[in-house]
Amino acid sequence: MDNIRKIIHIDLDAFFCAVEELRDPSLRGKPFAVGGSPTGRGVVASCSYPARQFGVHSAMPMSQALRLCPQLIVVRSRHSDYSAVSRQVMARLRALTPLVEQLSIDEAFLDVTGLDRPATLLARELQQTIREELDLPCSLGVATNKLVAKIANNVGKAQAGGDGPPNAIQVVPPGQEAAFLAPLPCEELWGVGPKTAARLHELGMETIGDMARFPEAELERLFGKHGRDLARRAKGIDERPVTTHREAKSVSQETTFRRDVSDGAELRQALRRLSEGVARRLQRKRLAGSTVKLKLRWSDFTTPTRQTTLRQPTDDAGQIYTAVLKLFEPLWRPGQAVRLLGVGVTNLDERPYQPRLWDMETEAFRRAEAAYEKERRLRAVVEALEARYGEEVLRRGVEG
Amino acid sequence: MRVSCLQENLAKGLSIVGRAVSSRSTLPVLGNILIEAKNNQLRLAATNLEIAINCWIGAKVEEEGAITVPARLLGEFVNSLPPEPIDLELSVRTQTLNLHCARYTATMKGIDASEFPIIVTTGADNDEAPALEGTVMELNAAGLRNMIDQVAFAASTDESRPTLTGVEVSFKKDRLSMAATDGFRLSVRSTHLGESNGPGEDMTVIAPARSLGELARISADADDDRPVQVIITPTRNQILFQIWGKRDDGRGNFHSVELVSQLIDARFPDYNAIIPKNYNTRTVVDKAEFLKAVRVAYLFARDNNNIIRLSVTPGEGDGPGQLQLMATSAEMGDAVNIIDALVEGEGMEIAFNAKYLIDVLSQIDQTQVVLETTQGTRPGAIRPLGMGEDEFLHVIMPMQPPR
Repeated sequence: MDNIRKIIHIDLDAFFCAVEELRDPSLRGKPFAVGGSPTGRGVVASCSYPARQFGVHSAMPMSQALRLCPQLIVVRSRHSDYSAVSRQVMARLRALTPLVEQLSIDEAFLDVTGLDRPATLLARELQQTIREELDLPCSLGVATNKLVAKIANNVGKAQAGGDGPPNAIQVVPPGQEAAFLAPLPCEELWGVGPKTAARLHELGMETIGDMARFPEAELERLFGKHGRDLARRAKGIDERPVTTHREAKSVSQETTFRRDVSDGAELRQALRRLSEGVARRLQRKRLAGSTVKLKLRWSDFTTPTRQTTLRQPTDDAGQIYTAVLKLFEPLWRPGQAVRLLGVGVTNLDERPYQPRLWDMETEAFRRAEAAYEKERRLRAVVEALEARYGEEVLRRGVEG
Repeated sequence: MRVSCLQENLAKGLSIVGRAVSSRSTLPVLGNILIEAKNNQLRLAATNLEIAINCWIGAKVEEEGAITVPARLLGEFVNSLPPEPIDLELSVRTQTLNLHCARYTATMKGIDASEFPIIVTTGADNDEAPALEGTVMELNAAGLRNMIDQVAFAASTDESRPTLTGVEVSFKKDRLSMAATDGFRLSVRSTHLGESNGPGEDMTVIAPARSLGELARISADADDDRPVQVIITPTRNQILFQIWGKRDDGRGNFHSVELVSQLIDARFPDYNAIIPKNYNTRTVVDKAEFLKAVRVAYLFARDNNNIIRLSVTPGEGDGPGQLQLMATSAEMGDAVNIIDALVEGEGMEIAFNAKYLIDVLSQIDQTQVVLETTQGTRPGAIRPLGMGEDEFLHVIMPMQPPR
C-alpha cells in the first residue's frame, strides 16, 4: 500500500475574470468577458459565471458572445497582470510542496504523497489559503494519479452549478478510480478526440466504463499502441509522475489572418513563415523536436490539428516546412477559407551546442558562459548533497 | 604523336593529375586530361582553373604531339590494363587516340590540345609554356608534407567562407608557419627553415587547404632528398610547387610534378587572440590509448552530435590520475572508457566533438600528448609531448552538452 500516491489537480476558477474583479469590484456578479475587441476578430479568453448563463464560453468570437448576451461587458485582457497573480498562486503551491507541475497560467498538479496529512485536508487548506490571501476562487481534484485528479476536478466543477465560481473539491478515494470514471462519457478521457470518440461510439462504447469493459487486446488491435493506452486510462491507471522541470514542451507559432484566406500560395507562404519562426526559436533555445504539428482553423471555427513524427529531431525550417506541408495538403481543398494557421514542434530534446572559437569575444557568449558555470556549480553542490544524504534530498524547482 | 610507356607509370601519372580534373564544368575540355609527348617524356596535365597539375613520366617518344581525352575513361581504362608497355598513337585527322597494351586495344575520341588552357610552369622542362616569375624558395619535402598533414585538416570545407578553406602560410625571419581553422578548432605548426632556402623576406599568403592536401599526397611518392621548389608570384595570387620523383627506375614512378594553385586573397583571422595563454589543468596521456578510447566513445557519440565528455581526475598521493571519456546515445546506450593520466592541477570536465579529437590525434607521431584546459567552456589545447613549445599546437572549442 506504500506506493499509493496522493495527487491534487488545482485550477483557478475563471481566472482572468477573477483578476479583473479584484481590479474593478463593480464587475462582480455581472456578465462580462475578457478578450479581444468586439469589432475586430477577437475571441473570448475567459468569461464570468453570470455570462456563462447566457451560453457564452471561452474561445467563442466576441461578436457572437455579444449576440448571445447584448449586455455583456467586454474587458481587454491584461496578460502581464494575470502572469503576476499566477506567480503568487504558484508560490503558495510550492510553499506546500516542491513537487508542483505547472500546466498553464492557472492550472497545476501537486504530488503530496510525502506529506502526512490527508490529501483532502490539504486541498481544503489550499483553497482557503488562496481565497484568504489572494482573494481568488479555485477548484481542486484529489486522486491517486494525474489523470483521475484532473477529471475529478472537471466533474466537481460541473456539479457545482449556480451562477458563481464553483469552488469545488472532488475526491476520488484510492481503489475507486475505475468506478468513478465508469459513468462518464468517453470524451472526458485524455487522448479521446472527436475522431477516436466517433470510432468508439461506432463500436458501441459511450462511457469510459464501456471502454474499460471492452477487451483490451481488441482495443489494441483497433487503435494500435494508442488503444492499449486508452484501455489503461479507462481503468483509471496513470503512472506519469508529477514533473517539476518546466521544460519547454513545445515551440509553436500561429497567425490569425486579418481576413479569411483561401489562396493556396498565400497559405503556403504563411506556413513557410511560421516554420521559419519556429525553427528560429528552437535554435535560440538550442532545442530540436521530432513531432511537427499543424493547426488550422476554418471560418466556422472548427479547428482540426494534424501531427507527424520525423525520424530525427529537427530545428531546421526547411524540414519543418516540408513536414507541415505534407499535413496541410490533404486537409485543405483549393478555395477553402482559412482563418488561422499554426505550426508547432514538440517532443523536444536539448541539443549539444558547438560554439565557435571566436564566439569567446562576444557578449552573448560571456552571458551564456556565466549561466553555464552557475548551472555547473549548482550541479556540483547537488551531487555532493546527494552523495551525502541520498538522491531524494533535493528536487529541482522551477527555473527562472 | 606516337609514344610508348609503362602501364604502371601512366597509371600513377593519371592518378596524380586526375585530382585536378574539373568534376562539373561547362567547358568540356576541362573534363579531359592533356597528353603531350615531347623530349622523351610524356606530360599529363589537368586543371579545374583553381588548381592545375602537370606530371612528367618517362616514355619513348617516336613522334611528338599532343591530344586531350576524357579523364575518367582514360584513367579507368589504364587502371584495368596489365603491367606491360602501352603504345599510344594519335590519329591527327580524326583527333582520336589509339591505345594498345598486351591484347587490349581502344580508341578514344579527343579534343584538340590547343583548346586546353595553358598552364604556367617553372620553365625547367618546357620551352613553350610561360614560366612563372616570382619569389623562389626551396623547402624540405618531408618536412613540408608533415606540416601540411598536421594543419590542413583543420581548415573549413564550407565554400561560403572561402578564407577559412585556406591555410595561412607565413615566412617570418627563419621560420615557416602554417595555420588553419574552421572556426571550431585551430591547428598551428611552425618550423625552423634550417637548410631550406626561404624567400629572404617576411611573407604571408593563404593557400587553399585542398591544394596543399594534393601537394602532400603527391609528395608521399617524392624523392625526399631533393627539395620542393616553391614559387610565389609578386602579386601573391598564384603559388607553384615543383616536386621531384624518386630517381630509381622502380615502376609506378614519375619524373616530376608541378602543382599550380590560386591563392586566396583575404585576411586570415587573428588566431593569436584565441590561443589559451594559461591552464588550470594539464593532463598527459598516451596518444595511442587516448585515440583508441576516443574512437570507441565515438561509436556512441556519432548519434548524438559527436559529443563526448571528458572528465579529468588528479591522482591521489603518488598514484596516477585518470581521464574518463563518456558518450551517450539516446537510442543505443552509452560507453565509459578510462585511461591513466598524469594530471597536474585540479580535476575538471569538458566536452568535445569526438571527430575533432580523432582528427588531431591521428596526425600526431609522438607517443604522448598533453591536454591543457582552463574550464569547461573555454578552448582546450593539445600538443604532442616532446615537440618544441611553439612547434605544434592544436586548439579545440568545447561543446556545451545539454543540461
